[in-house]
Parts: sequence; C-alpha cells; structure tokens
Amino acid sequence: MISLLRRRRKQAEAGPASIVLEGSRKATGGKQKNRVLMMMAVFFGIYATIAGRLVYLGMLDPEESGPPASRVTASRPDIVDRNGEVLATDIKTASLFAEPRRIVDADEVIEKLSTVLPDIEVEQTYHKLKSGAGFVWLKRQLTPRQQNDIMQLGLPGIGFRTEKRRFYPAGPTAAHIVGLTNIDNQGISGLEKYIDDQGLADLQASGLAIAKDLRPVKLSIDLRVQHIVHDEITQALGRYHAIAAGAVVLNARTGEIVAMASVPDYDPNNPFNAHDKDRLNRMSAGVYEMGSTIKSFTTAMALDSGLANLESRFDASRPLRIGRFTIKDFHGKGRVLTLPEVFIYSSNIGSAKEADMVGIEGHREFLKRLGLLDRLRTELPEVATPTEPKEWKKVHSITISFGHGMSTTPLQTAVGAAALMTGRLLPPTFLPRSQAEAAEIGKQVVKESTVEQMRYLYELNATKGTGGSGTRAQVAGFRVGGKTGTAEKVVNGRYANDKRFNAFLAAFPMDDPQYVVLTIIDEPKPEKPGVGATSGLNAAPMLANIIRRSGVLLGVKPEFGHESGATVVSYQ
Amino acid sequence: MFRTSDIVLIAVMVAAAAFTYKTKHEAEDHQVALRKIEQQIRFEEDTIDLLKADWSLLTQPSRLQKLWQTYEAELALQPLEANQIVGIDELPSKPLTIEDLSSQHLGGMADSRGAPSDGPDKIVTGGIVQ
Repeated sequence: MISLLRRRRKQAEAGPASIVLEGSRKATGGKQKNRVLMMMAVFFGIYATIAGRLVYLGMLDPEESGPPASRVTASRPDIVDRNGEVLATDIKTASLFAEPRRIVDADEVIEKLSTVLPDIEVEQTYHKLKSGAGFVWLKRQLTPRQQNDIMQLGLPGIGFRTEKRRFYPAGPTAAHIVGLTNIDNQGISGLEKYIDDQGLADLQASGLAIAKDLRPVKLSIDLRVQHIVHDEITQALGRYHAIAAGAVVLNARTGEIVAMASVPDYDPNNPFNAHDKDRLNRMSAGVYEMGSTIKSFTTAMALDSGLANLESRFDASRPLRIGRFTIKDFHGKGRVLTLPEVFIYSSNIGSAKEADMVGIEGHREFLKRLGLLDRLRTELPEVATPTEPKEWKKVHSITISFGHGMSTTPLQTAVGAAALMTGRLLPPTFLPRSQAEAAEIGKQVVKESTVEQMRYLYELNATKGTGGSGTRAQVAGFRVGGKTGTAEKVVNGRYANDKRFNAFLAAFPMDDPQYVVLTIIDEPKPEKPGVGATSGLNAAPMLANIIRRSGVLLGVKPEFGHESGATVVSYQ
Repeated sequence: MFRTSDIVLIAVMVAAAAFTYKTKHEAEDHQVALRKIEQQIRFEEDTIDLLKADWSLLTQPSRLQKLWQTYEAELALQPLEANQIVGIDELPSKPLTIEDLSSQHLGGMADSRGAPSDGPDKIVTGGIVQ
C-alpha cells in the first residue's frame, strides 16, 4: 500500500501542473496569509470561550439537590425470647422525598401520589412542590407496598431513601427489659444497651456489623408469661387505683428472669414518654422499703443462726419500746407467739425480737450475704443501689427486721427469696442459663435445714385455715407459699398510714420450689369501699392470677395429691 | 502483495476481536442479570424480615387476648384450669367393655333364628316355666 502511494507522489512531482500552482499561489499570496490569520483567530476565539466556560463551570458550586447525606444506621441483632419469638428486630422502611426543581407538573404528581397515599395533604404538598427548594420530604416510613406502587407511577423528581428502624412487635409488654435505641440505632437503655456494651458498638464503629452475620440474642424471657404478668399488673393498676404495680417471675433453680414488668410503662415504638419519672422500671431501678416481706429474711436469719428453731417462742404481748419508738403489731394477738406464728401473723414485735437475738452485726452480715444491701449485678443497666443506715444501731436493726429503714429493689428481694428457697444465691440473669451453669456459680448461703424450715413456713402462711396472711395467693394445684408485705410509705418524713406499698413474695410449687414470684403495688386503694387495702387483698390476688395463668406455661405440673385429689379426668 | 498467510492472520485477528467483543458483551449481560438477581435477593430478604416482624406482631399474646375478648361469644373459649392438666401416667385406664357374644347367631340347632321371636328362651337352668 505504501509503495503504491509513493509511486503516485513521484508521478505528481514529475508533472508540469506544479509550476502552474506555484504561480497562482504567488499571485494571491497576501490574501492567503490574511485568511489563515483569520481562521486562527476564529478557532482561538472558540477554544478560548470553551476554556473560559469550563473554568467558570469548574468554579461554580454544583446545584444543591438530592436527599441529605445518608445516615449510617448500623445493623443490630434481633432480640428473641426463650422460645424464639421476636422481641426486637430491624426493619427497613422507605421514605419518600421530592426535588421540586426537577418536577415538571406538580398537579400531576399530587394527583398520581394520592392514588397510592390517599391521606396526603394536597394543599401542603402543592406548596412544597412549588417552593423551588432542592429537597423536601413528602412522607416518612412507607410500607414496601406503597413504595412499590409509587415506583410504578414513574414520576420524575421523586425518590426514596431507605432507613433502618428498630421495631418492637411486643410493644409495651417487654419494654423495660428490651430497652430502646436512639435514632442512630445505638442501644440507650435496657438490654439493647447491654448488647452494645458487649462489643456491638465497636463492631458498628468499624463497619463490621453486617446484618447477616449478627446472630439473634436470646433472652431468658418467656413472652407468654411476660404478657400474663404485664396484663395482670395493668389490670391491678386499674382495679386498685394504684400509682404503680410490678411483678417478676424468677426461676429459682437457675436465676433466670422469666418475666418482669412494671407499669406505668411506655410503647417502645413511640417512646415519647419513656423518660418520664413515673415510667421507670420499678422492679430493678426503684428502691422501696419492702415491708413485711423482709420478715422472711429475719426469720431465716434466726433459724440459720441456730439460736432459734420452729419451737422458739417470742413474747409479743406488749408493744416494744426502743428509745422514742414504739413497735406495735398490725394484727396483734397480745400473747406469746411461736416462731411460725410470728411469721404467719406477721408480728413486728416477734420479728424485732428475732433480730435482737442475732445481734446487729449478724443481722447486717446476713442481709449482705443474701445480696440485699449491695447493688445488683445483672445485664440490665437500670439497677438502683439499695440504701441502708450509715451506721447500724439497735433501732435500725429492729426496724429493718420488719422491712423499714432499709430500701432495696423488688428484684433483689425476689433473688434473695430464691436463695432462701434453694439455699443457693444466684445472680439473676436475662440470658438463658442452664442448671449446670447455675450449679457452678451459685454459692450456698443458708443451711439446708433453714431451707426446709423456710419452705414449711411459706407454705403454712398460704394454707387455708392457719390464719396466714397469704391465703388469697393460693392457687389450686400449684402449692403456692409466700409472705405478704404491707409497708407504710414515708410522707413528709413520717410514716403515713393511708399510703402503702404492698408486696407479695411467693414461691411455687412448695414441695420443691422452681419459681419465685414477687408482685408489688404502690399506693393501692380498696377495691370496694369498706374493704382493706393490705397486701393480702391486692398483691396476693395479683400473684395468684399470674400463677394460675402461667403455671402450666412455666412447666410446673399441677398436683392435687394433698388437696382435693380430684382432676377433671377422674370424674369421667 | 497479499500473501495467503497475511489473509489468514487478518482473518484470525478479526475473528479474535469479534470473539472478544462477543465474550465481553455476554459477560456484561450476565453481570446485569446477576445484579438484578442480587437486588431481587436483597428485596426478598428484606421482605422476609418484614414478614417475620409482621408474624410476630400478629401472634402477640396481647393481640390474641384482645381477639378472644372481641369474639368471646363465637369462640366460647375458656381459660385452662389446673385440674385439666394430667400426665399420661395419670390417665384412668380405659373402661373394660365386654363384647356381647351371646347375641351373635351361631347357627345350628341352638340358633333361635326363625323361631317365634319372643326373645331368648325364658327357661333358665333349674327353672320351670309356669
């Protein structure tokens, strides 16, 4: 090919035409030069314009449009209950935005959007779309179906931004346990915070928290029992016009918390009032003078010290005077009581004498041993520290023997009672724990003989016909035993006799306690006029309802052996 | 001029180019398909998450309780009582039923079929009809 071209060029050079050309070029030489210069000027002008424009555009800030920078919402693991029911999960929601500058016909957009979103406000949206702003939100958190339908409309100038949101299917039922997350999906309370503290926060910070790799966190909570507890305390709150109520169901053998609720509470899906003062988790974050339920510990202490036995007698015929205090009995019998009688008649004088017998140091040591005076260690971050007198004097020891002068959390009281029922103190947990694991960490705190005697006393107190204060807590088939507690609340530095804090501490089944249940109710009013408002009349029936409804779900087999001995089947 | 080997090489080159182009194009097509499927998977996964949340919402004990209260009359459900729970070992044994063999027709001489039907013979051993 190249050789072909060369040959042609040779021919052209050789031809005579080149001479003519040269001549004509010389004739018009001046004009030619001008034209070249003009062409150069024109092209230079064009390129200069283009370059100038480029520089100008380069300097110009890009037009503001599109949604604000995406917020990194970190993934969180699901939280499930012990049966795998979801308590908290991440869901993706889409939010609809518009870029008004790119919208061609606002009327058309509104008309089409209203076919999918009938509740859209036409006028407001019209103003938004006509505002000429770069970006406006039209609707947050659409359902996937709505998102799909809007996408099908094919409207220009509108778009979606997906956002991750924490969703709690159980709503308020387990609100205090599961906790809350903030807008960046970081745990701020409850077990959500605990999960963050276990290293999730670091994972999220390093960007490694990928939804798929996060295993669900299983809790020891049983959603069914949790619902029953929540339902019963909510009903009780209304029935007794109380200011608060709460309950906890604790597995005495493993220390697992199966259910725990406190009302008033809040809806975690809309937690606008979650930080109100009266909506705190009273079971773990509130401290109370637990009242007569503490007599369980006083009695156990007397028995455990070896100084008293079930035959011991305490003179409760006269009120006890200590300094300027006079200790009286609420259900005074005015005679010498045996130790079981002190317990079932809830005698303050008798309990005071029991504490006196052990001594101040021994008393404090025993309560410390059962963990009632120290801050509870568990997964839940919201745990209050118990209060006790700075310096224990005799009067303190005596008032504490019947539950006044020392405040502790209801959860701790239940944990202590579980230790009395099994002999081993187990730190409570919201995560599953097997009996083998519990056996390793549990430490013996009271003698086996004390455990036996305490079981007997609990059962005696809830048995009909003994005059015990807890008979209303009895549930046929489940062998409930327990202790009432009616504490007078301190109002303006004095104990008010019309404001009470009631509790009922129980265990079941009494022949081998598996669960400890504690109910509390704050400032209950009588259900009907003329009826009292002591613990046996409100906290005890609450507890009985909880056990009646949840006993079977907890895996306790009803037995009627030493009661009526009759089941439905045997009639048929 | 053109040698045969040149033509062959040119042909090979063109074929190779065509093949490369086709392969690249196909790869791009597959990539697009893959991206589409991946997006679909993501969408399905999100849907699964959502349906799970929906399911747990629909099976909430509190919701079921409300439904029960609303349809109490139709459902006629009652709370389970403790005395309705028994273990398998506590079930009473099945009542003994003795099959009535005497009413079966055995045939032969003793068969009462065809005889005047006023029931079985009233004569019992040692008894006399009066």
